[in-house]
Amino acid sequence: MKILGHSFINRKGAFLNGKEVVSCPENEAKFLRHIYKALEVNYPKFYKMDTLSKSVILADFILSPTYTDLTEQEDKLQLLFANDESSKRTDLSFIESYVPKEAASPSLFVYTLPNILTGELSIKHKWYGENTFFILDKFNAEFYLEQIRMSFSRGNEYCLCGWIGSVDKKNEECFLFLLSKSEGEVTFNELENILNTYRNE
Amino acid sequence: MGKQTKLERGLSLFLKYGTLITPLGIGMDEHFEALSKNETGISLQEEKGFEEVDLYLSTIKDLSGNRYNNLLEMACDEILRVHTLDLLKDKSTGIILSTTKADLDDLPNDTFQSSRDIIKEKFQNPNDVIIISNACISGVLAVNLAADYLEFGKFENVLVIGIDVLNEFVVNGFQSLRALSPAPCAPFDTDRKGVTLGEACAALLVTKNKGEGFAVEYSGGSSSNDANHISGPSRTGEGLVRSVNRTLERSAIDKNDIDFISAHGTATLYNDEMEALGFNRLELQNVPVNSFKGNFGHTLGAAGLVEIAASMLSIEKNTLFASVGFKELGTTKAINILKENKTQDVNVVLKTASGFGGGNASLLIRKV
Repeated sequence: MKILGHSFINRKGAFLNGKEVVSCPENEAKFLRHIYKALEVNYPKFYKMDTLSKSVILADFILSPTYTDLTEQEDKLQLLFANDESSKRTDLSFIESYVPKEAASPSLFVYTLPNILTGELSIKHKWYGENTFFILDKFNAEFYLEQIRMSFSRGNEYCLCGWIGSVDKKNEECFLFLLSKSEGEVTFNELENILNTYRNE
Repeated sequence: MGKQTKLERGLSLFLKYGTLITPLGIGMDEHFEALSKNETGISLQEEKGFEEVDLYLSTIKDLSGNRYNNLLEMACDEILRVHTLDLLKDKSTGIILSTTKADLDDLPNDTFQSSRDIIKEKFQNPNDVIIISNACISGVLAVNLAADYLEFGKFENVLVIGIDVLNEFVVNGFQSLRALSPAPCAPFDTDRKGVTLGEACAALLVTKNKGEGFAVEYSGGSSSNDANHISGPSRTGEGLVRSVNRTLERSAIDKNDIDFISAHGTATLYNDEMEALGFNRLELQNVPVNSFKGNFGHTLGAAGLVEIAASMLSIEKNTLFASVGFKELGTTKAINILKENKTQDVNVVLKTASGFGGGNASLLIRKV
């Protein structure tokens, strides 16, 4: 297997394959919106999404130049995603919509499942492949590599993987990495190092 | 780990009962009896949801306190009656949990931590609990992943637990979507008016070793996204069709050999219409099909496991169960909904699931 590319977003900015593509002003509360505007993304649905989907759609927008030929692989591209708190932030907002106002918000409720973001990616690209969303207590390179190997052995050709860190653990980040089944190995250290380098930027 | 493991192709994999706890009972015997009588766990409950209206729900009566944690603990104890602690605590046994919301009462803390703690305490298993939270297809995905782990040589056995409980959050949510039925849900019926929510915990052991007791063979499975809408089913059944085709391919099973389909059948207008269309596109329109939602309600992250366990009863007892709540076909494309129980040889069963996020998953099991 081979890493074809990776992207990363946090409050500091947005990065592609280790290089900064957008820098966010310090203390920018709406940093995702800042990145959206800086990249001149035109995907109005973005504004309706919850934070999880927003981050992933942006990180994917940054990564997408590296996989222009993937549409033909619509059935053989697996999405493997995980985070450490499911849709907690949206869950809490949804609860606020019915306590004490007593008018539950359907537009919030539809985002109270973490795998909605893989749905958003599938819709954006017309990908019909396999999707799985896991809850992990932290990013675990070994876990991802194991899932990727199993996915390839099931017949998939590509895996788009993602990790979204939580606000609670002061680890707000979105990390996407795309792998192909081609020859070679990707090691635990290699994957772990990519994320650590981004974290230390 | 991982890198050294070799894919063991052509391996036979088996599913064995773990437990099943629903409003209809505890364990497989009680469920066979209840399903044979076409019982339902759905009952009218007063002033529910943010609209404070009377609602039909499928609630486990004896649950109190923290319903999620108590149900999970109860299920672990039941699993220990069926499988030995030696097997469950062994490092060659993996554990996968399928749930959409886990212990929501614990918000704003980590709602998944209690599950990890309870499972660790009950089974003393050294492996991290692998948690899948992928809406209503989580259960089928979890069994498919368990099979992958066995094929990949990581584990000898994988215990898969599916669980979700009813709470204000989920009821309010479905109410806000106008997706709840004012009557007990009636999947595929002409008068269907939406979902009836339920709660359950179901567990299965996916294993390389058939051993003692009843087992079915796991033939293969897959998933596919509709790439269409985050909260509504595809109008064409695209993801369902792709998933079933891929499952058939991976299983090397001829679709003409399928004896029964346990459909998702949530009883919303669009879901059931989509499934009927999908099964027609797959040329499976004549295969007997039911939705167990009329018995259990929609148990979300548990649904896949609950319905696979019930389908295993069909294989074990050579009995197809009627689709409770169904009277007259209400989909544009005709499918063969079971109106009454049928005693017949049941060999091959297709289980399908579809859910929010556009996910579809399927798997095939067969009599050994």
